[in-house]
Amino acid sequence: MNNMMKGNLAVAHEAFDDGRELRARAGSKNARTVVSVRDLAMRYGKAEPVIEGVSLEVREGEVVSLVGPSGSGKSTILRAISGLHAPLSGNVELGIPATEMGFLFQDDALLPWRTARDNVALGLRLRGKAVGAAREEAADWMARLGLKGLELRYPRQLSGGQRKRVALAQVLALKPRLLLMDEPFASLDAIVRHRVTQDLLDWVEREGIAVLLVTHDLEEAQALSDVVNLLSRGPRARISHRYPVEIPRPRDLIGVRGHPTFAPLLQRIWKDLSIEVEEAAD
Amino acid sequence: MSALFDKTWARQAFALAVLLISWEVLGRAGLISPFYAPPPSAIALALYELFADGSIWQHLIATLSAALAGLAFGLLLGAVLGFGAAMVRPVADIIEPVMILLNAIPRVILAPLFIIWFGIGLGSKVAVSLVLVAVLIFFAVYSGIREVDARLVERVRTLGGGRMTLLREVYVPSVTAWILGNLKVAVGFAFTGAVVGEFVASSRGLGYLLSFAQSTYNAALTIALIVIIMGFVLILFGLAGRVERRLLHWRYA
Repeated sequence: MNNMMKGNLAVAHEAFDDGRELRARAGSKNARTVVSVRDLAMRYGKAEPVIEGVSLEVREGEVVSLVGPSGSGKSTILRAISGLHAPLSGNVELGIPATEMGFLFQDDALLPWRTARDNVALGLRLRGKAVGAAREEAADWMARLGLKGLELRYPRQLSGGQRKRVALAQVLALKPRLLLMDEPFASLDAIVRHRVTQDLLDWVEREGIAVLLVTHDLEEAQALSDVVNLLSRGPRARISHRYPVEIPRPRDLIGVRGHPTFAPLLQRIWKDLSIEVEEAAD
Repeated sequence: MSALFDKTWARQAFALAVLLISWEVLGRAGLISPFYAPPPSAIALALYELFADGSIWQHLIATLSAALAGLAFGLLLGAVLGFGAAMVRPVADIIEPVMILLNAIPRVILAPLFIIWFGIGLGSKVAVSLVLVAVLIFFAVYSGIREVDARLVERVRTLGGGRMTLLREVYVPSVTAWILGNLKVAVGFAFTGAVVGEFVASSRGLGYLLSFAQSTYNAALTIALIVIIMGFVLILFGLAGRVERRLLHWRYA
């Protein structure tokens, strides 16, 4: 078993430069595990555990989402993986160095006293790049995300969508192989949200970045993911359902909704979620 | 004329002019006693005399030095103690109660004690000014650090930042912003401390002159001195505002 794993690991390594090939294997047993969460329980302070017995896996090049009722501890799982919050029990195993993990938050809090470019450059500098080189690279990333000309603006001079793109550039500049996203685009209006999400989707598919996404939006979850996990209501929430999404990539956020499996699966997830929420209301 | 009156400052200047002219007219008509409220012309004359013989300068310099020294040391001390208390729990256990007490009392009551300790010279005035400013800044920094935006801390941590990075990228800039936000209040406090210290016991300074004017029932000189102090505080307010805008350019950009 161990030997077989090692063999696969080497293959995955070779394939890493070619996103397409990697993407073709996404979710298959051949792809290497980027993060594996086993029997995780988490709590804040002395309160009852928010989640308990949560296990999940994200493989190289795979997009996995977490949906569920409010307060079911979706974000908590991301916090455990990122190391922001220590687990009560269970464990989180990373198949990649922690420095190759990026976290995109719900809000777009950037350092208000740093320009957009220096905000993007921050992570690069923390990885040992000289200020000049980090700034140059940051400017390149900003251009790639449609932020050319805004390099020297301060966060308060940017729109919500622009700030979100800066936050995205900040994370993507570190070339993460695992991206943790906590409702990253919830605060944006529909059109901006669609555009940023599509850009991100293209990027993730091209680069073969593994993603663990927390969202309230079931359609978004299905449109982006290879696997959708439904959490039961909290406290002591666990993963109650797991739905594979069989829609080929590359995907288009609008087009994907026309796929024959889209509506039936959405209805199924919606029904299961409604049951969870109704139980919570009792 | 009506266009001019659309401007707030024009209306304010007009109101001030009306007040001064009526004051002057009523005073000359004998309807207001010059003993209590000498007419603006008398105050202007007192102001002119203070500057004409140049005697005012040594007093101005004395008060300004005390206020600025108190401000500088108060900022420094308040920031260091606030930082220390926020970062090291046992330090907070000792300092916080003292600061709460100092914050609760009118701190100028310490002036007589400081005069006994440090004499009637500059030292005691700096001390009063310093204690007024330091307590203000302590709370700005102490509560500021504890309430630093947790999202920024998490952001920097997930980008790979450790303690030193957090200090440099999040805490120090936040604290600078809070200190500068309190700078104008601190300038006012610094002047209060210096003048009150001089008022209690001294041989020069605007507070000393005020005390002298009051003891001789010279209302014109008293008001003239109040005008001078207001003028200087306003100038320092303006400077503090400029410093704030320069250092916090990201907030005003």
